[in-house]
Amino acid sequence: MSPNIIINEEKCVGCRICQLWCSYIHKKVFIPSEAYIQVKNVYDLNPKISFLDGCTNCGQCVEYCLYGALTLKEVED
Amino acid sequence: MEWNGYTGNILNVDLTRNKISIIKENLEDIKQFIGGIGINCKLAAELIKPGIDPLSEENVIIIGTGPMVGTITPGASRVVGISKFPASGAIANSCGSMSFGFHLKQAGFDHVIISGKAEKAVYLEILDDHVELCNATDIWGKDIVETTDRLWKKHDGSCGVIAIGQAGENLVKGALTLIDKTSTFGRGGLGAIMGSKKLKAIVSKGTKGVSIADPKEFNKLYKKLIERIRNYPHRKSWIDLGMLRSLPIGMLLSMKGQKKKARQCSDRVYLKKLKKRRIACPSCPMADKDILEIKEGKYDGLIHYTSSVINPFMMMTLDSLNTYDETINAFDLINRYGLDSLTITTLFQFLNDMNDKGILSKSDMGFEWKCDYNTLIKLIEMIAFRKGFGDILAEGWKKLADMNETMATEMLVVKGLDVVFEPRLLRLGTMEFEQVVNPKGAHVASGGSPTYVSSGGSMERFKTHFRRMGIPELAFNKIFTPPRKEMGINVGRLTRYSEDWYTVLTSTGICARAQMNRFWSLESITAFYNAITGFDLIQEDLRKAAERVWNLLKIMNMKEGFSRKDDKFPKEWFKPLKFGDNELNFQDFYGSTTITTEIANQLLDDYYDERGWDKINGQPTLEKIKELKLEKYL
Ligand code: SF4
Ligand code: SF4
Repeated sequence: MSPNIIINEEKCVGCRICQLWCSYIHKKVFIPSEAYIQVKNVYDLNPKISFLDGCTNCGQCVEYCLYGALTLKEVED
Repeated sequence: MEWNGYTGNILNVDLTRNKISIIKENLEDIKQFIGGIGINCKLAAELIKPGIDPLSEENVIIIGTGPMVGTITPGASRVVGISKFPASGAIANSCGSMSFGFHLKQAGFDHVIISGKAEKAVYLEILDDHVELCNATDIWGKDIVETTDRLWKKHDGSCGVIAIGQAGENLVKGALTLIDKTSTFGRGGLGAIMGSKKLKAIVSKGTKGVSIADPKEFNKLYKKLIERIRNYPHRKSWIDLGMLRSLPIGMLLSMKGQKKKARQCSDRVYLKKLKKRRIACPSCPMADKDILEIKEGKYDGLIHYTSSVINPFMMMTLDSLNTYDETINAFDLINRYGLDSLTITTLFQFLNDMNDKGILSKSDMGFEWKCDYNTLIKLIEMIAFRKGFGDILAEGWKKLADMNETMATEMLVVKGLDVVFEPRLLRLGTMEFEQVVNPKGAHVASGGSPTYVSSGGSMERFKTHFRRMGIPELAFNKIFTPPRKEMGINVGRLTRYSEDWYTVLTSTGICARAQMNRFWSLESITAFYNAITGFDLIQEDLRKAAERVWNLLKIMNMKEGFSRKDDKFPKEWFKPLKFGDNELNFQDFYGSTTITTEIANQLLDDYYDERGWDKINGQPTLEKIKELKLEKYL
């Protein structure tokens, strides 16, 4: 559960870059099945993005999603 | 040993014996041949016996991916298939994308060998270590879309699927397959080969991961490259329009004087009426695949997946198609059956011309020919199900050529495959020229080169691209020396390097489409390759491996009887093409010279010379074969 990331599934193209990058920085292997972000039904009309327990809120998936499907929530003071 | 990038495993599936085994890869082979197309070729040379019938049990299909696939390397998701193709009788390769290669790597395999023939319809399921031939009797007879949807559903929408349609099942010689119901894979008959083996589909799904050798170096390289891509000024318009950005079909139709029709395939129609969702191959920052939806009229609600909207739009050059929705519907049918839209388009036009000239008539075809939508749909059905005259057409161009001398000379075909790019319309760049020399027959993928990237460009721009592709500086002068000075570029010589560059991309797994390959150079590919695999290769090693692979492909086809006599420019190219009110001639890349048969032959001589091949028979010389250490494949 990432409380800090806003998901916009309409913009998702199913490239899995977020999953690849998350697994790589946290597990040192390109293993999207073990990423803390999961994109299901990648090529469906309606893909589903979710965050798993263990997500550190590092924001790296947001940084590398080049399609605007993930954005960071504004931090309130 | 520990494998990085590569998994080190080849899956070996014998359909006849229902036997599945794993072959361990050999490091020396990988250094000589490199990845997807390379190891595929080596395996094909060992496993496909010369002279076999492509649709017999003896034929073998080899599907492979490269060491970068399954990682985050931008645009690395390609998969290559090699087999003996029924449309041409050549041993050839074909490429596709989407998620099959990604999942295959994640499941722990670099290549799959499929041999023999199943007794009953099956599909192959590769789920990590669980590999099984499953009963496919309930999906046999279904189209590609339904087959893929069912298999996706079985695996939670997360697996790669290569499937055939009814055309493949019915052994239509030009039948292809689709990957994830989107990417065409196997023009020239891979669908028919799978059909002959009673193999309906292949599913891959993996959860094992792909490791890399040098994460520190990889991070540095990746971050630098992805920032360049992110900041590419045209990225947004590529993502908005996809391939439509590079080939505005509407402009072609306007040139032909068909303004009303041009509006039917405009950017506006695409964006406002058709575009449903943009999808990408795994790791791709330049997403260009389309999910389309028709939102009005007779076909309201039709959802269609395609590797680009330009594929259906290209069909609008047919006089039988006038509206975008009829076009998408016809194209959808072609895809579902697993036919080749390029071949159907060329064939329809050809049959129309032959009917106009009185060379074909109702007595040959069994029905009254009309240049309209209904006839097109009827033709598609007749071919896919081999009904009536469709049974002859399903046998391919060669069968049609045998029927009549005029048809044989007027068809735009090389080695049994129809020409994709018409040089009288687009002039003679490497893509057009490569259709003549490609061992597979008329095929364009391996001819992509600076003649496209810097269309009409200056010599300096060419040089920048030559360096990017790793063309040795020593070759520049010869490439700038064409048969006639005013031609500027010698496309014969340059094609050799386009093929090598394409082979490097296809070995490592990187997409060859212009919008992706433009970010890569032989230098950056070598750096990524070393960081991923832990090898210590130099650029020349990769280029040499590419040359080795292309020569091996040629050697295999020498044994099938192919030689210079088959590298034939279609005769029609030397006559003017009527295009609307215009007459277009066969011209060089700069439009400064009309290409005569003499110039065309000189370009062929130059191509063979640049390859170090014999000009008389158009085959690798013994010297070249020894230099590349390929003697054992002779
Ligand atoms: S969320 Fe972004 S990075 Fe992840 S699959 Fe969707 S588009 Fe790609
Ligand atoms: S925020 Fe960090 S840990 Fe969480 S899914 Fe994104 S990359 Fe993974």
